[in-house]
Amino acid sequence: MHYENRQPPEGINVTKEHPLRQFVRLAIAATVLMVLVVGVLQFSGGWLAKRIPFSFEQRVMRGMEVDFSGEVDAPELTAYLNDLAQRLIKELPMEDGMDVIVHYNPDDTFNAFATVGGNLQFYRGLLVQMPNENALAMVMAHEISHVMHRDPVAGLGGGVASMLAMMMLTGNAGTGMAGDVLTRTGVLTSIQFTRRMEMAADNEALPAVYGLYGHVEGAGTLFELVAQEHGGSGDLAPVWLERFASTHPLDSDRVEAITARAAAQGWPVSGEMTPLPEEFFDWLEESAN
Amino acid sequence: MIEAGFFVVLLVGGYIFGRLAEKRHMKSIIKREAINNALPAIASRHPPTDQPYHQHLVGGSVVIGSDYFKSFMSGLINIFGGRVTPFETLLDRARREAMLRMKEEARRYNAAYVFNVKYETTRVATGKVAAMEVFAYGTAMIPGNRQLSSVISSA
Repeated sequence: MHYENRQPPEGINVTKEHPLRQFVRLAIAATVLMVLVVGVLQFSGGWLAKRIPFSFEQRVMRGMEVDFSGEVDAPELTAYLNDLAQRLIKELPMEDGMDVIVHYNPDDTFNAFATVGGNLQFYRGLLVQMPNENALAMVMAHEISHVMHRDPVAGLGGGVASMLAMMMLTGNAGTGMAGDVLTRTGVLTSIQFTRRMEMAADNEALPAVYGLYGHVEGAGTLFELVAQEHGGSGDLAPVWLERFASTHPLDSDRVEAITARAAAQGWPVSGEMTPLPEEFFDWLEESAN
Repeated sequence: MIEAGFFVVLLVGGYIFGRLAEKRHMKSIIKREAINNALPAIASRHPPTDQPYHQHLVGGSVVIGSDYFKSFMSGLINIFGGRVTPFETLLDRARREAMLRMKEEARRYNAAYVFNVKYETTRVATGKVAAMEVFAYGTAMIPGNRQLSSVISSA
């Protein structure tokens, strides 16, 4: 018996395709897939969620008994905030049957947000920085506009649908680092939707501020404050990239948009500022203790 | 932003160094295979009976790890399916290296053949790190009437 090992031809176990070529092909395919899936789901999930009657939203939120107030009772402040909201609603094209409830939270967070069921949450951290009622009215009108546009429920619907899709696409065993990168692609895609919501809310809010005070001075204060709060971006990213990767429009863009809109509509950009109630900061102080 | 930069650096670095290492390794494998081909490694379980042979277990083990680029690529391929080509070359190298190490051990014993050759593979790392052990083993057939212990100790 004779035994021998012959050398097999080289490369029979190896693909002929160049790895970089394969990489480019797969990366493009995966990115397109992710953007399409998230885009379609954000759009359709948001569209479907908006078909849910507002009254159902309110009922569900009441049933859940969410504690928005952070266990602090600030009746005068909450009453004032709700009164301002009601005055603004009169200036806004809100549908019948819709309403908002403003909640106050004594936390130092510099934020205010609108959530499902017409619930608005204002934090002490934001209120304490308000120089006058005009600035506060712009924030309030912006958040009410989110409720009017059904953005919280649309965000929830589209967000949940696209999150599930992303998890299914990338969450299975084996995608590893590629999965992480693709999830970010998905998040970047969905951000494009939320940013549009923010811009639309700004657009809706400005006429209400003008309607209430007869001018739009102070409407841009919030964004100047936000820019200060962030202390500038401090990032090395170019402006177009920062814009693309932000959930909200850039503060400078928003101030610019307000100025342009006011000029186009002939709204005065200066006028008498309406002060906050005298006790406003006392209420904030009391609630903090 | 910084994170994205790190990612690109790791990916490019993984590609360049992974390719260089792979090329160097393949060159060494091809060279050593040409030398070791004189010693046949046979899968058969029935050794030759033409003369007396001592038998001795020989093995060669390799633990091979993936690079960042290959791991990333395999993740992308996992979405669409198909051949996980980055790992095909990796495992091809591991198998051939394990076989070479086994043969090199057998050659030290002056074996004429290695019979009943088998491969075993096992995953040795979990999570995001991909590393495999490939173990080739067989029975070295050492011709001669001398005591096996003297054959082994002189090797």
